[in-house]
Amino acid sequence: MTAQPPDRRARQEATEHEPVHRPWPSALIVAGMAVALAAAMAGIPREHAALPAIARYALAVALPKWGLTEPVNEVVYGTRGFDTFGETFLLLAAIISVVMITRPREPRRGYFGEETAAGREQSESDPAGPGDASEDAARSAERREQDERRPADQAAPRTADRTPLGSPAPETAEAMTIVVRTAIRVALPILAVAGLYLVAWGYSPGGGFPGGAVIMGVILLAYAGFGHRKISRVVRPGLLEAIEIAGAAAIIATEALGLALKGSFSANWLPLAAPQTILSGGIAQLFSASELIEVGTGLTIAVFALLAMEHDWSPDNQDESAGDPGDAGGTGDSAGDQDGSAGGPGDSGGTGDSGGTEGESGDTRDRSGDRSRQ
Amino acid sequence: MILANYLTSAAVFCVGLYAVLTRRNMIKMVMGLSLMEASTYLFMLSLAYRAGSTAPVLLDPPPGESMRALAHGNVADPVLQNFCLTAVVIGVAVTAVFLSVVVRIAQHYRTLDSGKVRELRG
Repeated sequence: MTAQPPDRRARQEATEHEPVHRPWPSALIVAGMAVALAAAMAGIPREHAALPAIARYALAVALPKWGLTEPVNEVVYGTRGFDTFGETFLLLAAIISVVMITRPREPRRGYFGEETAAGREQSESDPAGPGDASEDAARSAERREQDERRPADQAAPRTADRTPLGSPAPETAEAMTIVVRTAIRVALPILAVAGLYLVAWGYSPGGGFPGGAVIMGVILLAYAGFGHRKISRVVRPGLLEAIEIAGAAAIIATEALGLALKGSFSANWLPLAAPQTILSGGIAQLFSASELIEVGTGLTIAVFALLAMEHDWSPDNQDESAGDPGDAGGTGDSAGDQDGSAGGPGDSGGTGDSGGTEGESGDTRDRSGDRSRQ
Repeated sequence: MILANYLTSAAVFCVGLYAVLTRRNMIKMVMGLSLMEASTYLFMLSLAYRAGSTAPVLLDPPPGESMRALAHGNVADPVLQNFCLTAVVIGVAVTAVFLSVVVRIAQHYRTLDSGKVRELRG
């Protein structure tokens, strides 16, 4: 924002100039907030204060009443189990919001690649594909460049691991290079075991929450390294969402059975095993394992729903951005007409990678149709 | 001096607040909200700290400590650590909701500038 040294100028040109919105009133509010926070924090207990009563209670009951050597885990799933219960469903609500917001128009079986697989069918039933001449030229140039790089008689390998060593980079499959793939092959089982270990030994702090996050990391690592085809049998909405809801149902059952059997919500109704065994903690362990399912699948659903978000609602056309709603109907109609008239020849390529734009132009016409009906 | 931690978390919170108030790029606003979230993690973990205490694990007390002393409170506060543990996961999920809304707004209005998203303005 201020003057940059001259050697930085080239980089500064590349970045977008961003105006600061109302700096002085904001600075005033922030200063007021800082004063309020500092005043509040000067008066709160410091490091020499005694532990609050609930903390001492948790430490006192963790071993005798729950058989847990880990008071944090006892607090999460025992003493404050109701709080964790509420947070679980806050998480579920957030996941459902993400799924609802990112949902495409049509039901899909997988997160990725279906529009690519259906590209040919789409182009047959909907010949008015992407119509821009310059876009077609760019596409065909790109295709020619790829063909030059690859021998004509040799198709792309089915998986990245079948690419012969020494072939020129970038490798043709959707995965990363062999260095990354090998590193992931080494790290992945270790991470998966570590994540499950956090949960299986119920005296580790937190159990399902960090375990679920680690499992999500494992899935993301596999996706990043090997491409979506490797994980598409596991990571698909139908399966993950069912597991997610099953985890939530297991948590409800775990907590509600305490009410039914012991007379209080989230009471322990399982026999206590010896401390530091895989079953120690009674329902804390069951709750933790259900939480692993809930958090692991929930975060995976959220991440993949975000990654697979498509252009869905708005035409991909700069000059009809919805600044003026009264006018946009007319321009939307004319854009749709242009697509219809110019789209014919552009479609002859019919390759997979034009699937996304075909979807967009379909949306363009849907949207303009909607608007003209209004 | 744990007060330094408290004040650092207040400063991080204020940085996040300033970002939310002054930036119009919605990604940066989400980043500001995430900073405010992160400051609460720092605050809660600092609040859990006790001078000369050890981790709240009732197992293998460090030399010079007895199990009884651990169980009677010479440890960090486990309740606040529990808050932090759950807050991290909730924070991730809420950030995902923010970001998905931002992506939809960007697709709908072709801009990330919140100053230009004003269809509801009378």
